[in-house]
Amino acid sequence: MRLLLDRFPNTVSDLWTDADTVEVEVPRDQIVDTLRILRDHDDFGFFFLADAAAVDYGPQNWFEVVYHLYSHRHPAWLRIRVRVDRADPRLPSITGLWEGAMFHEREMYDMMGIVFEGNRDLRRIFMSPDYRSFPQRRDFLLPDDAADSSGAGVNPLERPETWDLTRFSDALPVGRTHPGSEQTAVEAGEAMVDESRPR
Amino acid sequence: MDLSLLLGVGRFVLSTTLILLLTVPTAFIIIYLELKVIALMQLRIGPNRVGPAGIFQSAIHGFKVLAKEDFTPDQADRPVFTMAPWMVFMAAAMSMLVIPFAPGLVALDSDISVIYFFAIIGLSVVGLLVAGWASYNKYSLLGGLRSAAQMVSYEIPLTLSIVGVVILTGTLSFTNIIEWQRLHGWGLIWQLVGFPIFFIASTAEINRTPFDMVEADSEIVAGFATEYSGMRFGFFFFAEYVSLFVMSTILVTLFFGGWLAPWPFPAQLAGFGGTIYGLFWFILKTYFFVFVSIWARATLPRVRVDQLMGMAWKVLLPLALVNLFVTAIAVVVFNL
Amino acid sequence: MTAVDPETRIRDPIELDRQEEERLRAAAGLGPPRAAAVEYAGFDQIGLPDRPPQTERESELYSVREGEMLVNMGPQHPSTHGVMRLVVKVRGEVVTDLDVVLGYLHRGIEKLCENATYTTVLTYVDPMDYMSAMHNEHAPAIAFEKLYGVEVPKRAEYIRALVVELNRVFSHALMMGFLALDMGGLTPILYGFINRDETVELLSSISGQRMLFNFFRVGGVNWDVSDEFISRLSTWRSNVGKAIGDNELLLTQNEIFTARTKGLGILTAKDAVSMGVSGPNLRASGVPFDVRKAHPYSIYNELEFDVITQQSGDTYARYLQRVAEIKQSIHLIDQIVERMPHGPVQAQVPGIIRPKPGRAYAAIESPRGLYSVYAISDGGPNPYRFRMRDPSYITLQVMPRLMPGHLLADTMAIMASLDPIMGGVDK
Repeated sequence: MRLLLDRFPNTVSDLWTDADTVEVEVPRDQIVDTLRILRDHDDFGFFFLADAAAVDYGPQNWFEVVYHLYSHRHPAWLRIRVRVDRADPRLPSITGLWEGAMFHEREMYDMMGIVFEGNRDLRRIFMSPDYRSFPQRRDFLLPDDAADSSGAGVNPLERPETWDLTRFSDALPVGRTHPGSEQTAVEAGEAMVDESRPR
Repeated sequence: MDLSLLLGVGRFVLSTTLILLLTVPTAFIIIYLELKVIALMQLRIGPNRVGPAGIFQSAIHGFKVLAKEDFTPDQADRPVFTMAPWMVFMAAAMSMLVIPFAPGLVALDSDISVIYFFAIIGLSVVGLLVAGWASYNKYSLLGGLRSAAQMVSYEIPLTLSIVGVVILTGTLSFTNIIEWQRLHGWGLIWQLVGFPIFFIASTAEINRTPFDMVEADSEIVAGFATEYSGMRFGFFFFAEYVSLFVMSTILVTLFFGGWLAPWPFPAQLAGFGGTIYGLFWFILKTYFFVFVSIWARATLPRVRVDQLMGMAWKVLLPLALVNLFVTAIAVVVFNL
Repeated sequence: MTAVDPETRIRDPIELDRQEEERLRAAAGLGPPRAAAVEYAGFDQIGLPDRPPQTERESELYSVREGEMLVNMGPQHPSTHGVMRLVVKVRGEVVTDLDVVLGYLHRGIEKLCENATYTTVLTYVDPMDYMSAMHNEHAPAIAFEKLYGVEVPKRAEYIRALVVELNRVFSHALMMGFLALDMGGLTPILYGFINRDETVELLSSISGQRMLFNFFRVGGVNWDVSDEFISRLSTWRSNVGKAIGDNELLLTQNEIFTARTKGLGILTAKDAVSMGVSGPNLRASGVPFDVRKAHPYSIYNELEFDVITQQSGDTYARYLQRVAEIKQSIHLIDQIVERMPHGPVQAQVPGIIRPKPGRAYAAIESPRGLYSVYAISDGGPNPYRFRMRDPSYITLQVMPRLMPGHLLADTMAIMASLDPIMGGVDK
């Protein structure tokens, strides 16, 4: 079955296996097509999306979205890794293939701030709708933690809560809340004070 | 002033006061029974702290309800909100007036007690409906509307199932219905179809499981009573158990010979002895049906609104009509 | 891309009537029907969020038409199984739309686990799906063993399978009770709890705790089972049939119960797979997918069992599926006890594990479905990334699909039949 993956000579890279998992890496723009073929083609038959998760490889690196698929035809889990640019974390949504990806994608958006293009219900799922930060990123620090940690003086990255009205404009929210941007704690504090947005 | 009129008024005032006071121990006993019987059916112990075997548990409940804050929601329609529990409770309590507990032991021995009973018991639906409306709460509203739909629907088969008995006995007085049963045997024998209809419809009428849509706690929290607290809630709570008692008494009166014993009434027990003897049988039979209702509550899940209404209109109403028709023909043909 | 076909979306009879009326009027050359003169500013306006909608779906949900109102069921509601909020749009009592609002129990367990050592992670995952704590520990244990490359002794595997199946029995038994409770039946839940109590006593006698067992270790289990435990197990085995049987007597053939559950909330196999539903809910829809069989872990390839499925996919089928799986689990327990080998129960593993950098994925069949863990090691003592896929979280997605067209009373029955546990949903 490892050979079957050779159907995608241009797509798949970094093929790796262990006892019960086959792992491949797929470029960002081909993920939906690849998954569709994997799901629909008789040779593969990966009908079940077991998991979709995001991994943050640190502020200097990249995000990775990991899909785990299951097929009756093959004895192993198929793990598909997609690298997502950290400065521009967007990925096409796969809710068109598996509707069940909806909550996975909402969680990834909520926790990591990855925007899934084409997902029609991409909102916060665990955090409150007015929350502004992405708590599972590696560089996320609570104000308390920032004060107590060995690296005290680090700017807390939890943003003050205001209604995010930019959702409907073309600008993506990640631009404003992206931890890598130069927004300082002072600016964040100002944002809390001066903005007369509805709360 | 005429002395007999004065006596009549005095007797009425005394008996109504007694009846009103009677509701409290009745509700307490049934609440305790419900707690204990369901507990035993569920292999639990149930109340066992207050008094021997916890018999004062429901009295403590009553005091608790009295001591609680009487809360009115901000947007509620205050006068109506306050009035609703009274309406429900008074409907239940006033319907007890015409119940013949024993020979000679009836508060208001009227010739039209059957009509009076249904007129009064029908009032409680108004109370539940306005309670749901006045609370300014969506769950209350749903509960109130459910109660209106359910109780109005079930009143029809309920009333029709009684008309069979009325035709058979030729009287609208509960006392006379019992007298008739003394001569002809229990109403159950004559009304084999009427009894189940009455039983189901009365269970629905007083919102007992499996027809407790009105306060279905897993769906609409507590229905019409969601926003009620303190003694106002207490009145709803009392009214529920009083009406359970009342419906059981009516069931016994109409179909199980009221205060008649299962065998012929001993002639030597006239007067006071007869009253006690009759009361014993009456209460025994009544509490048997209270027990049946509690048993059903421990056993059955709740039916759904549409199934409930479907049963009222599609099953019970045609059956009740057929029953009425057959009874009427039988009365004419066999000249009963 | 994901827009739902409007033809399948609208199942509201009043809406269909309205469309029919418009069509007839258009055919007769009349204009559109006159809009209602009444300005609605009552219950239908309460419950709308005081902020603009964030997504297409949200604006669809919160656009309340005439005659509809939003009911917020939860987070404090008698039967939302913990702290979940359902925003239900109802027309009278008919549900027309529904949204699941989560996060009231979110504790960030994934993040916590990333700051814990591999050994302590196993204690953090316990309160996830608190009805099946053993299962919660099983998947991370397998994943860490893969990462660290340690062989689990055979006896430990058997003990694991034993406790996991015991856990499945009481979880399903409670589900039967909760389903009945949400439909107004008071008794089955207590019979379910009697069964649970016996089982939990049994499990606490080997793990030391009643609810969050903390029994699994990387490379084995914490304690060995004694002969006394086995004899207690046989006592349990002879009692369990009665506890389950009583509930079955109360429910399976109950007229009201069947009338309320048959044909209710039908989840088609296609939808179920697409929505990522797994476990008993998926099998009740007729898809024979059971991780124990599909991708055997632990010792499940040595045990004899079949994948049970139901065909109809309704609430009743989901109930029957649970009942059948209880019996299957008891059957499995018999086999495990019979074949349990002797030997050590814990491989040699240091206190602080530092696996080589790598990734491991482990999936198990929890009582609610496919529960999986994806762990990444960077060579340090903590997992670099610890991801848990909780089945009830994913299963909740089907609610907006199943509910519309049903009555408000049925939302709770359908939800109870899906058996979500909020501790797992909210992580």
